[in-house]
Amino acid sequence: MAEIMVETPMATEPPKGEFLLEVRSEEIPARMLEPGTRELATRVFEELMARGVGPREVETGYTPRRLVLILSGLPEREADREEQVLGPPVRAAYNAEGAPTPALLGFAKRCGVAPEELIRIATEKGEYLAAKQRTTGRATSEILSQVIPRVLAGISWPKAMRWGAGDGPWVRPVQGLLALLDGKVVPMSFFDVAAGDSTIGHPILSPESFSVVGAADYRQKLTALGLEVRHAVRRKRLHAAMTAEAEALGGKLVEDDPLLDKLAALCEIPGVMSGAFDPAFLSLPAEVLATSLRDHQSALTVEGPEGLMPAFLTVMDRPDDPIGRVRSGNEYVVAARLADAKFFYGEDRKGKLAPKASRLDSLGFHERLGTYGEKAERLAQLAAAIGRRLGSPSEEVEQAVEAAKLLKVDLTTEMVKEFTSLQGNVGGIYAREDGHPEAVWQAIYDQYQPASTEDSIPRGRVGRIAGLADRIDTLVGIFGLGLIPTGSKDPFGLRRAAQGVVRIALEGSLSLDLEAVAREAVGFYGAKLSRSADEVLSLLRPFLHDRIRHVLGLLGYAYDEIEAALGAGAGGSGGVASLPDLRARVAALKKVRGEERFLSVVLSAKRIANIVKDAPEHDLEPSALVEPAERELFDAFADLRAEIVEALAERDYERVLFRTADLAPVLDKFFVDVLVMDPDLDVRANRIALLQAIHRTISRTAKLTEMVVDKAELRGR
Amino acid sequence: MRKTRERGLSVQTLQELILRLQSFWAEQGCVIQQPLDLEVGAGTMHPDTFLRVLGPEPWKVAYVQPSRRPADGRYGDNPFRLGKHQQYQVILKPAPKDVQSLYVRSLEAIGLDLTQHDLRFEEDNWEAPTLGAWGLGWQVMLDGMEITQFTYFQQAGGLELLPISAELTYGLERLTMFLAQARSIYDIGWVPGGVDYGEVRHQEEYELSKYYFEIADVVFLQQIFDGQEREAKRCLEAGLVLPAYECALKCSHAFNVLDARGAVSVTERVALMKRVRDLACACARGYVESRERLGFPLLRGTLGATASATAATASGKEA
Repeated sequence: MAEIMVETPMATEPPKGEFLLEVRSEEIPARMLEPGTRELATRVFEELMARGVGPREVETGYTPRRLVLILSGLPEREADREEQVLGPPVRAAYNAEGAPTPALLGFAKRCGVAPEELIRIATEKGEYLAAKQRTTGRATSEILSQVIPRVLAGISWPKAMRWGAGDGPWVRPVQGLLALLDGKVVPMSFFDVAAGDSTIGHPILSPESFSVVGAADYRQKLTALGLEVRHAVRRKRLHAAMTAEAEALGGKLVEDDPLLDKLAALCEIPGVMSGAFDPAFLSLPAEVLATSLRDHQSALTVEGPEGLMPAFLTVMDRPDDPIGRVRSGNEYVVAARLADAKFFYGEDRKGKLAPKASRLDSLGFHERLGTYGEKAERLAQLAAAIGRRLGSPSEEVEQAVEAAKLLKVDLTTEMVKEFTSLQGNVGGIYAREDGHPEAVWQAIYDQYQPASTEDSIPRGRVGRIAGLADRIDTLVGIFGLGLIPTGSKDPFGLRRAAQGVVRIALEGSLSLDLEAVAREAVGFYGAKLSRSADEVLSLLRPFLHDRIRHVLGLLGYAYDEIEAALGAGAGGSGGVASLPDLRARVAALKKVRGEERFLSVVLSAKRIANIVKDAPEHDLEPSALVEPAERELFDAFADLRAEIVEALAERDYERVLFRTADLAPVLDKFFVDVLVMDPDLDVRANRIALLQAIHRTISRTAKLTEMVVDKAELRGR
Repeated sequence: MRKTRERGLSVQTLQELILRLQSFWAEQGCVIQQPLDLEVGAGTMHPDTFLRVLGPEPWKVAYVQPSRRPADGRYGDNPFRLGKHQQYQVILKPAPKDVQSLYVRSLEAIGLDLTQHDLRFEEDNWEAPTLGAWGLGWQVMLDGMEITQFTYFQQAGGLELLPISAELTYGLERLTMFLAQARSIYDIGWVPGGVDYGEVRHQEEYELSKYYFEIADVVFLQQIFDGQEREAKRCLEAGLVLPAYECALKCSHAFNVLDARGAVSVTERVALMKRVRDLACACARGYVESRERLGFPLLRGTLGATASATAATASGKEA
């Protein structure tokens, strides 16, 4: 019994091998806390592992004013190392009499060992003398005192600053450093702040300094002051309290994960601030209310049975609101903000949206591309052109044109000037209120979708047509000026625009020759663009193809499948005549590539491609094919062609590929029995013509030479 | 937690607020300066901030600065917006280690019991493109309202700064509104038991808005801009940095009025801002050179000693 008791540490005594680090600083921006803490923990862990003193467990925490790292199960010290230091060759170590030479004696002295302690080692160059050297491993504390300040200084903050006489760079001025290994201060300093064993609580509610002996003591003392260093715990508490509060109000919390993440990163004490606003503000569109509350006051909203309730929930960095001033202050600001929003809404709604379109004439789109008024005209033309190409019914074309004309009008509204993130939505809401058809107002409302990879494309066909027109107009305009995005520089958001084009066409199943549409879009710019449609397309094509590759890659297709499908058609230009079609071909390639027959057709295709690569076009004269193997190939191909053409028309690309694969044995035989490069030039030309015909048919689905196949597997056949 | 109750101790009027801040920052050894006698958009543009933060000399200053943002004018109709508002500006160079707690103490000095409130420092990075200046810091939120901009200046006039200055900018009208829980700026008291803000300033807000939005002569303002720019360059050539800087400020104001008048297109905007920035940057370089020629006088002795000596001379003259 007594022995067991001896082994149980006392409650206040930290377990062995525990390191507690707390860096206190002035308020670190919420968005930087999580990545910064993660980088600190990862780098410290890696550095300690590299020295063989890795911890068993790593815990992290952060608040706006502190980064916390707790390592447990650390060894006491590095392992001792034994090394052999190579000295002089044995033949130089002893003189003729067998006595030690100065070389030997000097080496032994440098290594601090007696000459007789030297050992002999056989190497490729002969026998050498060596000294055994033992390095004592450093104490973990010593390693930590070197590693921690270096890692802290190396954290890659998105924006760093200097302070005082020039300390830094770091994210914000450092205020305190707590570094304890098994209860003892690990001596170190960071920007002139020396490590100690003390910290403080909340800077206003509990600013008194107190000392701690270890992680458990640290947590316990902070908890007693109401502070929580784990973000996830703060977030959970906020969420639970907000959910309960919303229910108590008779509604349901409108979830907003990113905002909740931010709120939990803005406090040390996760207090929920519940406030109310005048129900008269509920006459504002719900999007406007929610955006104003979110953007200006970092507040979540509550949904009741009849829409939003006149309530908001946010965080306060304290447990309670003793005299109600926190609530009244927040309500005061919210009221001011909503009054502003209501004022803007009232100003905007003094007239309808459509007549405001003339204001676009004085709103610059781009200094060299004219005004938004001119853009609206182009969009109307382009939307009509896209509608026609898609074979849209006339009502759809008319609605797309109507939406295109109104698309950008909300940029002139007070509401969008105030809440930029609501552009599009505001125009859509106003168009709805003005009685425009559903397809039209939704097209305006959804025009900036997809705004991100997670975002969906516009709801309806009209919205998709308008969205395509807007993006293609911008793309050809900016490319027409030669302003092509490079590296991270993309001031006009062209990558996102192009990605939007690809996703809308693909997910909206719009079979549209985008290059042809882009050519028309260039035409609508008239004399504004100095470059011809050909020049613009030659710049835009690779950019668009990159986005197509990216989007298809995200959908799980392999690089070679995408390249093969993109490279289809004569000269590779027909690959993107229609994105849904492109996707069907990529999907077919993915499906059939594992088939045995497919491997041989890829091999044959590569062989054919090599032969026809540089050959001029020849006309095939079937009667001149005389060798049995070439007759057989011609007949097999003639039989298959009809079926392949039929399958192509049905876009049944799997069948196309499988039928093509049926040619493989005949092709193999052809290549064995027939010499394509016949000395007789006419014979040669006719054989090449046969292969060219086959090549053209195969290439309509994919450029099979792009497919990466396992060569070893092919050799085995 | 301390169990104190706020018993209406905080100041309630604009005038009291200014007096409390003045005496608090005077006690911290700040030079209590007067507003710049030119139209500026912010207290930062006062030469005692923009130029003094440059170079190695220590500096501590505090002052009220009426700040004009013509485009924010609302004819005196909007309860929350003004075309001309007042800032209380503090510069501490170098920023002392305890500058945050000094700031907290200044709030206590105006009668706030912070144990009853929620005070938070939220990321807000400041940038003034026309001054070639930027800094990092926070918007200080008191019970959800932004009451102060707190910035560590990193660059001004295109020059890296060392030492680093802390800039505290209190929005005086907002803070008073918050303390008095007034529903409109025009309702806040200016004098305890006396005239209110509306009585002092409403006519001015209306007339300035009318002028900036409707009456201001665009051609005349463009001439002012061009003329002041020329004058600034002449001053710089003559080695007169401070007059050159004043001309640059006049350009900046002319630009703001043109902008409010709707006379600046998107393209022109960038070009005009660049012209102001080029002047500001040239003044900044010229100022550092001029101080260097003088041997950076404020490096001699502590700033506190300099400040109290000046005060003694001033009071001696009065006596």
